[in-house]
Amino acid sequence: MSIRRGYWSAIVLVVLLFLSMFAELLANSRALIVSYQHKLYFPSYGSIIPGRVFGLDYDYETNYRQLKELIQEQALDGWVLMPPIPYNPYENHFVKGKYPPTAPDWLQRHYLGTDVAGRDVAARLLYGFRTAMAFSLILLISNYVVGIALGCLMGYSGGIFDLLFQRLIEIWSNVPFLYVIMIIASFVVPDFWTLILIMVMFGWMSMTWYMRTSTYKEKARAYVSAARALGASTTRILFYHILPNSVYIVVTFIPFSVVSGITALTALDFLGFGLPPPTPSWGEILREGTDNLHAPWIASSVVAALVMVLTMVTFVGEAIREAFDPKKYTFYR
Amino acid sequence: MKKAYALCAMAIMALLFLMACSEEQDADVVDNHKTVFVEQPPAYPVEPLPEGLIWETNNDDPVFSSPDAKKGGTLRSFVYSFPLTLRSSGPDAGGIFANYVNDSAMGLVAIHPETANFIPSLATHWAYGKDGLTVYYKLDPNAKWSDGLPVTADDYLFTNEFSRSKFIVDPVTNNYYEENIASVKKYDDYTISITGTSKKPRSDMLYYYSFGPTPWHFHKLDENWVRDYNWRVEPNVGPYQITKVKKGKYVEFTRKQDWWAKDYKYYKNRYNVDVIHVQVIRELQIAFQHFLKGELDEYWMPWPDYWHEKATGSDYDAGYIHKIQFYNDTPQRIQGYFLNTDYELFRDINVRCGFEHSLNIQKIIDELLRGDYERQHTIFKGYGDYTNNQIRAREYDLGKADEFFKKAGWIERGPDGIRVKDGKRLSVTIDYGQDNLTERFVLLREEAKKAGVEINLSLKDSEALHKLYRDKKHQVAYMALGPTFRPEFWSLFHSDNAHIPNTNNYSNVADPALDDLIDRYRFGTEEEERKRLARETAAKIHDLCIYTPDYYVPYTRYSYWRWLKLPDFHGPKMAEYLFPYGDFGLFWIDEEEKERTLAARKAGEKFEPVTIIDTRYRVK
Repeated sequence: MSIRRGYWSAIVLVVLLFLSMFAELLANSRALIVSYQHKLYFPSYGSIIPGRVFGLDYDYETNYRQLKELIQEQALDGWVLMPPIPYNPYENHFVKGKYPPTAPDWLQRHYLGTDVAGRDVAARLLYGFRTAMAFSLILLISNYVVGIALGCLMGYSGGIFDLLFQRLIEIWSNVPFLYVIMIIASFVVPDFWTLILIMVMFGWMSMTWYMRTSTYKEKARAYVSAARALGASTTRILFYHILPNSVYIVVTFIPFSVVSGITALTALDFLGFGLPPPTPSWGEILREGTDNLHAPWIASSVVAALVMVLTMVTFVGEAIREAFDPKKYTFYR
Repeated sequence: MKKAYALCAMAIMALLFLMACSEEQDADVVDNHKTVFVEQPPAYPVEPLPEGLIWETNNDDPVFSSPDAKKGGTLRSFVYSFPLTLRSSGPDAGGIFANYVNDSAMGLVAIHPETANFIPSLATHWAYGKDGLTVYYKLDPNAKWSDGLPVTADDYLFTNEFSRSKFIVDPVTNNYYEENIASVKKYDDYTISITGTSKKPRSDMLYYYSFGPTPWHFHKLDENWVRDYNWRVEPNVGPYQITKVKKGKYVEFTRKQDWWAKDYKYYKNRYNVDVIHVQVIRELQIAFQHFLKGELDEYWMPWPDYWHEKATGSDYDAGYIHKIQFYNDTPQRIQGYFLNTDYELFRDINVRCGFEHSLNIQKIIDELLRGDYERQHTIFKGYGDYTNNQIRAREYDLGKADEFFKKAGWIERGPDGIRVKDGKRLSVTIDYGQDNLTERFVLLREEAKKAGVEINLSLKDSEALHKLYRDKKHQVAYMALGPTFRPEFWSLFHSDNAHIPNTNNYSNVADPALDDLIDRYRFGTEEEERKRLARETAAKIHDLCIYTPDYYVPYTRYSYWRWLKLPDFHGPKMAEYLFPYGDFGLFWIDEEEKERTLAARKAGEKFEPVTIIDTRYRVK
């Protein structure tokens, strides 16, 4: 049961991830296609197209929503195809006679309303999802590379090296990581990569314990002795022989690491120590939402999105765990 | 191993002991303002009073309190953080809480909040010396400290000694006295003079060469002063005295029943509530919830989202909570963008002017602030004739911005629409410290893109931000500085303070013509001349494109429970606040009304909803 649930969750997540990679085509103030004077333009990616190209009287980026209206009103030769959400996550769109935050409005195509600065919540959610996923995946890979390499080494070499690193990790894991981030954030504004670096510095430890024990166990097996007898190098033994045999541990942990990556970034952004403004991020939307409970669409959208994504990732995790569970799929019941 | 355990155990014991000690210090009631720490009066020499002084006073200005005021009740108010000390000078003094304390401090003279004339306070009369540097004061012999001792000339001479002392560890105060006050003399127990260091017009002297008394009998000045006096409550001369302190929780001020000035013309019917209870609530949001529950009596809300969205609902509709928006006419804060001329791009005046034309501040006001705030056009606004009302701040104008940028050679635009020149982008970083400003800057950033300017936003915590500003490493400093008595240009715009860390010339401007104007203004003694110079200086600052004024709040406004009563005229012209802190103590609490309101609220009875918009003093 839970495997099937996880399977569908995984499919949905992958689709979402894939879609968010092309967020520029889904939520953008730039049009998908513009046909103007029998010429086609594809403004979504690349340089801006100044308004003059379309016969407007300005040099900055064309406002495609206005262009669309203009073409319709004056029955000009051409057409504009806008993305489903015709707003980018940074722009402030003010509705005449209303003040932000404005409630969801299908006519204006603000499907989830706007935030306090008049920015489209749906667009910010979408781009925020991409940032969160990218962040947690990169964080996961970096954490695992360091954690697995060190854990394997500790388990394999044992002795002083193992002892030394064990103590080091014990001490290091007691450093309150949130405080460190706050202190660092007070003198540099962390960008995406520095934030990942800081998080990796304090996040690689947990994986080492599992890899260390598993390597210890595998080390004693005959195939390792055989490989060693054949003259394989330590690196080869570790990464070609031992690692594939302990990879099930890594795999079962992946979804939960993704969850913790997303929540960590959201928490940091919520507290204001995360990515610099105005980067769209779930934590920032969440904070805006809680500050403006009279505009419930902000908080409810982001909470719903968070709950959905995190539950789905957890479903995937459960499914993987179950699939790898030797008690369930064994001949020796 | 055993040793380690023993050590740990000892450490824990020590910690527990310390905790127990600190708990003991949290005594509720404070009465050390009654303790006399110094018995021996200071031996200040008595000088002969010069002949021919013409004593002035002012008892002819209108009364600005309401005769309907009733005494009694407790006003419940809040601050964001508990003060780090109760001292009014030295490390950590100042902050929001200091305003409450200052409310109960008095000066030699006060400024009438309607007429802006000087009125007697601790001094009954004043006279000007022939040297153009000295003001003589006759002290009120009735004035008493809260411990009952009289306020005498020695207390003022002691202020001078105290403020210059190294023991108070307050270089700012030390400097101020070193630079501005030449000497303080005593002629008898109730006559003193204060001599300044530079000649000023008479009305300015009364402001600058005047200060409050400091109780010499309370302060034992030595190297331990800062530590010893951290939580001691100083005796004061004002209407309220701190009587209860619960560290981290609240501070309570109690009205002195037999305050010496309570029947004076300008003090009658003021300071009416018996107790002001100031609680610590760290979040604005949460404080507002407390207010809505009736646990706070008033809530200051200049912000549009509070006024238009949050301050609505059944308690407002039923008239239990009233709203007032009071337009005032008072010197405004300096709030705006200082462009650092040391920043490579800003060395060119054309880039600076172009940048100013790229800031769409009006759109922030119209769209995000609902038109509640107004654009400030010049640096010193609300200073009467000292303000140059002819100046119009540079408005958002892509055409003009384009012209200026083209003059500076920023003609081409890169692939993202930002102007480029010799491989460089027209990119400017605004460093700021408050998270709630982000939404406004985001708008500026998007609008500036149209002009081909990239604005990067950098949100910093306040320590880091002030270090950056002090070191002058910023490109644009977004500052808000409190109003002063008269426009003060020197510290902000004189070349004396340019390119030097820890000074206030945030634009790093060093312009000979501007320096000349500022110096003439600074050392001028003719009032009319100085007014003219102040206006010219403001114009020059505008022409140099070094400072862009932001918006200002033309009013003060509140939500308050209906048992809080204001005079019919609500407040005087210069009222920055109507309720503590920083107010004139004109409001009162109607206890019967309170009972009636609470009963009605319980029973579901309704009153007329009240929203007062007082535009008498609105500046057009």
